[in-house]
Amino acid sequence: MKISYLYEIVLFVLLILLQVLLLNRLSLFGIATPVLYLYFLLKLPIGRNLFYVIISGFLLGLIIDVFLNTPGMNAAATTIVAACRKPLLNLFFEKEEYDEFVPGIYTATGPFIRFTILMVLLHLTLLFFIESFTLFNLPATLLRIAASSVISILLIFAFDSFIFKRKRGEQV
Amino acid sequence: MRNLFNFILRNSHWLVAILLVAFSFYLVFAHNSYQRSVYLTSANSVTGWFYTTTNNITSFFLLKKNNADLLERNAELEERFHTLRVFLDSLINTDSVVVEAFALDSVGIQHFDFIPAGVVNMSFSGVNNFITLDKGAAHGIKRDMGVISQQGVVGVVASVSPNFSVVIPIINPKFRLSARLRNSENYGSVSWDGSNIRRAQLQDLPKHEVFHEGDTVLTSFSRIFPKNTIIGFVSDTGKSVDDNFNTFNVQLATDFYTLQDVLVINDRFYDEQQTLEETLQQ
Repeated sequence: MKISYLYEIVLFVLLILLQVLLLNRLSLFGIATPVLYLYFLLKLPIGRNLFYVIISGFLLGLIIDVFLNTPGMNAAATTIVAACRKPLLNLFFEKEEYDEFVPGIYTATGPFIRFTILMVLLHLTLLFFIESFTLFNLPATLLRIAASSVISILLIFAFDSFIFKRKRGEQV
Repeated sequence: MRNLFNFILRNSHWLVAILLVAFSFYLVFAHNSYQRSVYLTSANSVTGWFYTTTNNITSFFLLKKNNADLLERNAELEERFHTLRVFLDSLINTDSVVVEAFALDSVGIQHFDFIPAGVVNMSFSGVNNFITLDKGAAHGIKRDMGVISQQGVVGVVASVSPNFSVVIPIINPKFRLSARLRNSENYGSVSWDGSNIRRAQLQDLPKHEVFHEGDTVLTSFSRIFPKNTIIGFVSDTGKSVDDNFNTFNVQLATDFYTLQDVLVINDRFYDEQQTLEETLQQ
């Protein structure tokens, strides 16, 4: 129990560092920016307290905002996604799963992939629409959402399989 | 009543979520002006320090290119120095009458100071682009000062903390600057359409304006930049919103991808001009 919280804090910090120092400086073809930090919300145990999920989501977004000079944008998108996490989980995962079950690409491949795709799409759609609130051209925004989603989803799967391949021996 | 309480209790996490989202949106709108809070941006000392440290590492990898630029610049100045030297010598050797009454003031009154600063952070993945500099109020930087690089215009200082400052660059949709082509006096405005970091748009130039690809775009009336600072070069005609005016795409002179060192412009007469102009409005 305690170990799992410690692990989450490390993941939290690591994801923020990765996002701020590396990923946000990438801009593939000028349109696609990988967004990895949502991975934190994907990897919380299924039965985790809803307040914990929502507040940690909000803090995650807020810290990212502070570093990227975009007050509120990531925080708003991430909080909404965190609130919608439970209904989405119920959509894809069996209710019988025990509370401490952590979704992952090795533990529940099919549901995890569908769950991730939906969460990332929701998150980036919110994020880019908030960002371009009054803005310019819809096609460009949609293109950015699509391109960024594809790259983020691939990155999340890669990240997940990379981390858990090494740990599988201990965990299972 | 009991059911109601149960209902609220069961759904209280939604309440928390709604409150937090409302707070986030408040932040979005409250800070979407030029007066951005220093606390929640990278001008804040914690994030500023953080970026300085990481930038010390990353700037190392750009040293080679910057060095090459400096050498190039050095060579150029050397060359100009030489031609001026030759010109001066030729003036001394000619037997012309020197009119004492019309001696140029060699000291002159310096209009602008330049404060060198380093870039510690930059975000240009989205449309809300910002640049953070490692100097702030303690070094004499104030809001609304212009920022240029060796190549051309960079942006305008938006907020300042004691040791850091945040710059709104040309590549931010909020940025507007009056500009003209080198060979004409008509002026338009430069803004950015959000599509390409290397390209901005020069709008509102009259249709009859003649232009050639590669024409230099310079600043015109500006309270912030010295007149005739280079902004970029015309690359082609762009989409025009209005039939009576042309829009050009401008290849920006500043390369934001490798931007490391900038100069902040201090206009010594800014306050004087400001007070003078304000007297009119009263």
